[in-house]
Amino acid sequence: MANTSSPLADSSGLPPAEIFKPKPARAAPASTLGIQGWIRQNMFSSIPSAVVTLLGLWIVYAFLDAILTWAVGNAVWEASNRRECLDQVGRSGACWPGVAAWIPNLIYGLYPKDQVWRINLAALVLLVWAVPLWLPRVRSKVQIGLSLVLLFPLLASYLFLGGEKGAIWSALIALGFAAFLWALLTTATEMTTGLSFTRFVVGALGATGRSEEASRRIGFAALLVVYAVSLLAVQAMALSFVQTRLWGGLFLTTVISGIGIAVSLPAGIVLALARRSRMPLISLLATAFIELFRSVPLITILFMFNTMLPLFLPVGVEVNQLLRAIVAVCLFAAAYMAEVVRGGLQAIPRGQYEAASAMGLGFWQATGLVIMPQALKIMIPTIVGNFIGLFKDTTLVSIIGLFDLLSMARAVGEDTRWLGLFLEPFFFVTMIYFVACFGMSQYSLNLEQRLSAGERR
Amino acid sequence: MNEAVAEAPPIELIGLNKWFGAFHVLKDIDLRVREGERIVVCGPSGSGKSTMIRCINQLETHQEGTIRIHGRSYGRDARENDAIRREIGMVFQSFNLFPHLTVLENCTFALTWVRHMPKQEAEDLAMSFLARVRIPEQAGKYPLQLSGGQQQRVAIARALCARPRIMLFDEPTSSLDPEMINEVLDTMVELAESGMTMVVVTHEMGFARKVADRVIFMDQGEIVEEAPPEAFFAAPRYDRTRLFLSQVL
Repeated sequence: MANTSSPLADSSGLPPAEIFKPKPARAAPASTLGIQGWIRQNMFSSIPSAVVTLLGLWIVYAFLDAILTWAVGNAVWEASNRRECLDQVGRSGACWPGVAAWIPNLIYGLYPKDQVWRINLAALVLLVWAVPLWLPRVRSKVQIGLSLVLLFPLLASYLFLGGEKGAIWSALIALGFAAFLWALLTTATEMTTGLSFTRFVVGALGATGRSEEASRRIGFAALLVVYAVSLLAVQAMALSFVQTRLWGGLFLTTVISGIGIAVSLPAGIVLALARRSRMPLISLLATAFIELFRSVPLITILFMFNTMLPLFLPVGVEVNQLLRAIVAVCLFAAAYMAEVVRGGLQAIPRGQYEAASAMGLGFWQATGLVIMPQALKIMIPTIVGNFIGLFKDTTLVSIIGLFDLLSMARAVGEDTRWLGLFLEPFFFVTMIYFVACFGMSQYSLNLEQRLSAGERR
Repeated sequence: MNEAVAEAPPIELIGLNKWFGAFHVLKDIDLRVREGERIVVCGPSGSGKSTMIRCINQLETHQEGTIRIHGRSYGRDARENDAIRREIGMVFQSFNLFPHLTVLENCTFALTWVRHMPKQEAEDLAMSFLARVRIPEQAGKYPLQLSGGQQQRVAIARALCARPRIMLFDEPTSSLDPEMINEVLDTMVELAESGMTMVVVTHEMGFARKVADRVIFMDQGEIVEEAPPEAFFAAPRYDRTRLFLSQVL
C-alpha cells in the first residue's frame, strides 16, 4: 500500500485522543480602536512623543501662516504696475496683478494671441481622445490608446505649426485626424451597441451573415471613407505658419516633456530588451548607448545637440532648434527608462519564461504577454517617478534659448512695468509644477492599486 | 513514415550528453519511454534528474545525443521545435503560474495564444480540467490567493489544457507544506490512471511504489539503475542506490 500518509497516523496502542478546541477570537482593547485610539497610540504615547507632536504642529502652523499672510492676507489683487503694489503693502504681501497680466505668456509663450485657439483646440482633442480610456464599456482601449500616442502628434504638430502642407504631409495630418474620428466613432458605437465601429457598419449594412473576409472588406471600406472625409477636411484647413521660436511657457514645457514621456517608455523597453539580448552585438550597442547617455548630464547633451549637431550635418540641412532639444531629451529619457525597465525584467522569476516557453509560446509572445505586464506593473512607481523627473528637467531647455515655463516666469520681472517681480511668478510656476507632478503621482498610486488586485491575498 | 511515427515511442533519449560550461551534468543518458508508461526519476540533488527532464522539452539544450518525441527530433527549425514541445506539458516545483492572470485565464492562456481557440470554447475546456483537479470554484481568483496545493493543481490543469500526450513533473511536491502534498499526489495518481505518459522527478517514494511502471535512480549525471518499483525497492543492485534509499525511506 501507499505510504504517503504520516507515520504517526497508524500508530496504535495510544490512549483515546483528546479533542482540540481552538479558543474563540476576542475583540481588540477599546483604547486601540478608532480615531482616538490611533491618536493616542501614534501621537501621544509618551511625553517625548507628545512634545514632538506639539512642536511639529507648531512648525506647520507657523509656516502656513507666513505663506498665507503673504500670498493671500496682505496680497494686492489690483494694480497697474509694481510701484502701486509696493506703495500699498511694501514687501509684506504678494503682487498678483503682475502674474495675472503675464498669464497668457506663461501658458502660451509668444504664440500669436489670435492663434492661441489652435493650442486650446489641440488640448481639447487630446482630452476627448483620452476620455474613452477611462470608460469601462469601451473595449478597444488598447487600439485607442495606441492611436492616441502614435497619431495625435501628427495632428497636433499641424495645429501648432500650421503653414504650407505638401501632399505627403497632408496625408499624414489626415491620418491623425481620421484616427481621432475613428476613436470617437468606435467609442460611440461601443457605448451604445457594444460593437466596434467597423462591426457596427457591417451590421448596419445588413451584412452580418456574410463571410469573415467580406465583413473585413466592408470594415476596411468604412475606414477608408473616414480617411477620405478627413483628407478633405484637412485640405480645407489653412492655418498660418507659427515659428517654433515663438512657442513657449507651459505649452512648450508640455510639448517637450509629453513627447519625451511618450517616446521614452517604448524606446526604453526596446533598449532594455536589446541589452538583455543573447546576441552580443545588439547587447553591446544597447549597453553603449544607455551608459553613454546616462553618464552625461542633460545640459551637456542639450548643448551638444544644439551647437555641435549642425557642424556634423551637411551644409544646407537645417534642423529646427526645438526639434534638436526634443531629440536630445528623448534620447536621454530613453536611456534612463531602459534601466528602469531592465530592473523590472530582472524582478520576474526565470520560471515565468520557462512556463511560457513550455506552453509553446515564442520569445516575443512570452515577453509581451507574460513578462512585460508583470515587469511594468512592478515598475509603475519608478516609471512615473521618471516621468515626473523628465517633466521638471525640461526647464533646462531654457539654457539653449527656448522659452519654457520657467524662463517665461523669469521674464515677468524684466518687464518694465513689473520690474523686479520675481517671487510671485516663481510661486505661481511652483504651483503649476506641483499640481502637474502631484497629479501624476496620485494617478500612479491609483493605477497601482487597481492593477495589484491579484496580489491581494 | 506515418506508421513509423505512430509506433515511435513517446520519448527516446539516445546518448544524451550535456555540459553547464565545463561541468558535465548528463553523461550518456539512454532512455526509452513507452506509450502510457509512468516513470519516476529519483536521486540526490545535483544528480542531473531535473536537467534531464528539462532537456526533454528543451528548456535546456543539450550538446550531444538525440532526443526524439514521438519519433520527431529537435533541430534547428524553431517552429518544428515549438510544435514538438506542444506535445509535452510540464509542471514545475515552483508552480510558475502567471500571477497577473486569474486561474481561468492561466488555463486558457495557451489555448488562446498558441492554438487560437475561440474564447468560449477555451473557457469551457479550461473549466472541465479545473473540475478534474477539483477546484472549478476557484476559477475567478488570482493564483496568489490560493494555497500551495491548490496552485499546483491549477498548474496541472493548465498543462493539461494544451492537450499534451506527455506530462513532465519536476519535483511537483517539493515546495508544498506537508498537509498539501497528498492533494497534489492524488491528482497525479488520477492522471496516471487515465493512461497519460508521465515522467515524474520526485522524492515521494510512496507515489513511486503505487504508480510507477519503472523507477530510475540517477547519480552524478548517470542513470545508475532502473527497475520496476517492486524490484527497485526490494532488491536494489548498486550500493549507491541502497545508500540513497536508506536515507529517503
